[in-house]
Amino acid sequence: MKQHIILIALLLAAGSVRAQETEGVVRYLVTHNWAKKMAAVDYISKQQRERVAYMWGNRSEWKMFTTLYLTPTETKYEDSEEKAEPDDEGYSWRKDVYHIKRNFAANTMYDVVQVFGKTYIVEDTLRAPDWKILNDLKEVAGHICMKASWEDTLKQQKIIAWFAMDIPVSAGPERFFGLPGLILEVDVNDGGMLISADKIDLKKLGAELDLPKKIKGKKINEAEYIELLQKFMDQRREAEEPPFWGIRY
Amino acid sequence: MLLNPLDSTLINFTRGDNNGAFAFKNVKNVPYLLKVSYVGYLPLQQHLQASPTELNDVGIIKIKPITTELLEVVVKAAKATLSIRGDTIEYDASSFKVPPGSTVEDMLRRLPGIDVDADGNIKAQGKDVKRVYVDGKTFFGDDPKAATKNLGAETISKVQVYNEASEQSKLTGVDDGKEQKAMNLELKEEYKRGAFGKITGAVGTEERWASRGNYNRFNTKEQFSVIAYANNINQTGVNWEDYGEFKGQNTFGDYDNGDFGFGNGGGGYYIGGDGDDVPFNNFDGRGFTENYGGGANYNFDNKKTKFSSSYFYNQTELTLDQSAFRQTFLQDSTFSNTDTSSRVDFRSNHSIAARFEQELDSNNILIVKANTRFSHNDARYNQSQYFTGSNDLPSNSLDIDNDNVLDSWRLSGSGIFRHRFKKKGRSFALSAGYNSNKSDGSENLFSINRFFRAGTVTEQIRQLNTNDNIGQQIKSSMLFTEPLSKKWYWETFYNFARAGNQVNRQVVDPELNNERIDNLSIFYDNTVLYNRLGSSIRYSYEGLNATVGAAAQHLQLDGAYSTDRNTPLLTDPIRRSFLNYTPNVDINYEFPSNLWLSAEYSYEINEPQLNDLQPVPNVNNPAFRIEGNPNLTPQRSHSLGLNLNYWNPASLSSVGIGSNLNLFDNQIIYNQTIEVIDSIGIRTITRPDNVSGGNRFNLYLWSNFPIVKTKLTMNVNGNINVGQSPSFVNGIENETFNKGFNIRAGLNATPNQKLIIGLSGNLRFNDISYSIQEEQNQQIQNHSVDASVKWQFLSKSFFESNFNYAVYRNDRFDFNQDIPTWNASVRRIVGKQNRLEIRLAAFDIFNRRVSITQNGTQNYVVRNIAGTLARYFMLSASYNMRGYENKINKNQWW
Repeated sequence: MKQHIILIALLLAAGSVRAQETEGVVRYLVTHNWAKKMAAVDYISKQQRERVAYMWGNRSEWKMFTTLYLTPTETKYEDSEEKAEPDDEGYSWRKDVYHIKRNFAANTMYDVVQVFGKTYIVEDTLRAPDWKILNDLKEVAGHICMKASWEDTLKQQKIIAWFAMDIPVSAGPERFFGLPGLILEVDVNDGGMLISADKIDLKKLGAELDLPKKIKGKKINEAEYIELLQKFMDQRREAEEPPFWGIRY
Repeated sequence: MLLNPLDSTLINFTRGDNNGAFAFKNVKNVPYLLKVSYVGYLPLQQHLQASPTELNDVGIIKIKPITTELLEVVVKAAKATLSIRGDTIEYDASSFKVPPGSTVEDMLRRLPGIDVDADGNIKAQGKDVKRVYVDGKTFFGDDPKAATKNLGAETISKVQVYNEASEQSKLTGVDDGKEQKAMNLELKEEYKRGAFGKITGAVGTEERWASRGNYNRFNTKEQFSVIAYANNINQTGVNWEDYGEFKGQNTFGDYDNGDFGFGNGGGGYYIGGDGDDVPFNNFDGRGFTENYGGGANYNFDNKKTKFSSSYFYNQTELTLDQSAFRQTFLQDSTFSNTDTSSRVDFRSNHSIAARFEQELDSNNILIVKANTRFSHNDARYNQSQYFTGSNDLPSNSLDIDNDNVLDSWRLSGSGIFRHRFKKKGRSFALSAGYNSNKSDGSENLFSINRFFRAGTVTEQIRQLNTNDNIGQQIKSSMLFTEPLSKKWYWETFYNFARAGNQVNRQVVDPELNNERIDNLSIFYDNTVLYNRLGSSIRYSYEGLNATVGAAAQHLQLDGAYSTDRNTPLLTDPIRRSFLNYTPNVDINYEFPSNLWLSAEYSYEINEPQLNDLQPVPNVNNPAFRIEGNPNLTPQRSHSLGLNLNYWNPASLSSVGIGSNLNLFDNQIIYNQTIEVIDSIGIRTITRPDNVSGGNRFNLYLWSNFPIVKTKLTMNVNGNINVGQSPSFVNGIENETFNKGFNIRAGLNATPNQKLIIGLSGNLRFNDISYSIQEEQNQQIQNHSVDASVKWQFLSKSFFESNFNYAVYRNDRFDFNQDIPTWNASVRRIVGKQNRLEIRLAAFDIFNRRVSITQNGTQNYVVRNIAGTLARYFMLSASYNMRGYENKINKNQWW
């Protein structure tokens, strides 16, 4: 029989606990590195991956901005209109169909994503991944953050996240969440994709959390979504093609 | 936070109230690792046992503040990561800025918690540091100062200070409690070097041999490589893989030629241009070659500064014997010539290239490029031509024996400066370029013409030519972009170029004391002045990018002709100028579902080639006289393009369709005058002229789709091209209508990881109709099938085979030739690390390989048959420092 307990303690620290403002907009700078993504694809031979790194290395990087709208209970995350590459100025790429909406009070997700070129709406309750909490601290966008790690066995990604100890929302960029504070930086596969908050603008939000009106997609739950991804990953492995064309990294 | 004590997995978390009190309710009664963190304090970890009661009061927990020094200096100012390992704190030392050339000691003085005295003795947290390790290893003996005084600060990424058991306890294994401080300096990734390389040697039957090797060294900032090859198996340069490893990060050049404005269609006055310095293996399948080459490349890239430079030498000696059959159609007759020729052609090049890019700051970039090439060419050419009139009777034979030597040099340099203004999207760019070339050549020509008619005449011509050319070009371009709103942009550009060329061609007759032949000699001084001003407006939003613009282009040609330098002008200097307005439209649209559309329209102006403007003829072959035309005007055409691409990630299939249409307002074509001259026989004179009309249309389609997902894929591509070009033959207009049709279908099967089978077929039809003589219409056919296998038949052994069956047909001439070629090889990878590869290969097992090309244009059709390397067997051994891949790849990722 499972035994449950209550664990209590008193923390003794100098200074008083500040009340936190947790409503506003976080701009993340996302740096993609194609060669580094390739380096993590274990079914492509070492020789080919080394070759990609040697020939592309620093040239394979490109940057974009994403936005997280945040209230104490709800978040919405999507690509920003703002261009991070100065050379993209004056050229418009089509934005990904990608709207990640979370409600932490109700513990629910409503994620609009694309897999296999088709739009899906993933609706389910939130189940946090098994984050490991590590003993490192650093500052991201003016906040002292703590390190956490997780290995996504489905997408074959090693994830390092840095969460702010003073922003008590369990949210984060992309589909990452479930840490004791807001995730301000995520490093996927050693620099394959680096998401780092570069501007935090705390203010009252209006209609920013609303989803675009005309979204059509098949409704599925998280388990079905995982199954879909698994199918995609298996297919790519079989075809010896990198998995990052066709789904969001 | 409650963590799993085994792997620190987060199980639950909560926050303390204003007094710091916190509670976890309803959690399982198992051991935990309690982790407490608070801004400005060191995270604290405490092991908790399962509780005997329902309530586990942990009591009061005290957490230690992070020293202000660490927080302000290390975390906030230097942006370094603090890593807490029990009692020790480690941080990224590379975040601390020290002046260039500083030692590790200088850097340590700046780190909080570490003291370095005047002698260089180090104290960490008040205790002496007895040992300093570099990457965990002792550095030049036991003196801790050896590393800190000698290593440069820029080489270090992390400084770790920790307690180490004393030597005594290390020996005895008993902890004597006497811990001492030790320091480990972790080297930066980029100072960790890498190297790779390959070497191959091969010998074969038929005196065939080949060797090649390359060696690379690199770190994260620099790449250095050398490569060399030598062979007589028709590999005239490097392949794609060699090229990539040689050029490294500089493999993919930027499109930074500095000629701003839409397209390059109307602009671009290159001399030599930006040509690549490394020779690719571009053997065209004809003849035998012996090749040598080698070079070195260096790249530097620290994100702000990029520099790369390379040197390459290559030489190729081609020995080519070929026969050609050419039939020419006149309005009421035909004639043909059968040629056999042999050629020995030696070419060598030295190339040096360099590129430098500096990000001056986030808004200003400077790019400077330069390259130079020295070339030498020495060729000997023998040709025997046999002319037959329409009555099928031979008329005459012409034997030509030409030698020529050409030395040339080329230099090109350019600079581009780009500035971004504070206002997003507003930018300015300026470029300047200088190109120069010089060549000195000499030709020694000899021909004998024999006639097969009564009273046989033999004509003999000797001629010595010298050709000295000098060209210089300066150019500059400007581009300004202004955002009008979030979706609208306005662009304005200006291009300027001035090219000056001097061509000096002197022809002398060695039979007449090397006296100059005036009607073949010329000194030609030509200047082209080019100005273009253009403007366009672009709409850019949600995947749609549409640009509409126009430019005014002014071209001024100046030419002066004399027989030799410093002789009087033959005509008054010629000056002509052309003003054209060229519209331009470019549309790109990305549909929501992996569908891309692009469409473009431009009006293209192409100025005449320098060779075509020369007012004296080239008679290196007396039967084919090539004249120039100083009155040529630029070629003008409408160009339309449409492309559609679709990719379906679910079925892994893709399809693309594209088309191009060119409608000529004015085209430069080569008119022919064919006449019978007593001393020459049938003589063809070609002369470039402007004619209006003519068009070209090209449609292509490709598709790739799985039949059985990941196991069997099919690819199909097709191409249709239709062209109509007018030309004049003896003053009579001949419309040549060309229809080409090509379809290729292939199947690719990968039944398992060890086997890849490919099968493909290719049909190519080319129909040519001549308005001048419809009964001579041609249908040329070149078809082939191809079968290939890659099979890993043992764990480290591979079999590769390729069979090709090609059919060449032209029914009008009853020409019908089939050529099967079969290549096969087995290879085995040897050694634990797969570094050695032994390969036995057989080329052209049926011994049938020859090169056949057939094509027709204007008023003739020509077929060329050339001998080349046929059957040989080769044994090779290769060594690869990185090891060979012990598998067959389905895809090649660069």
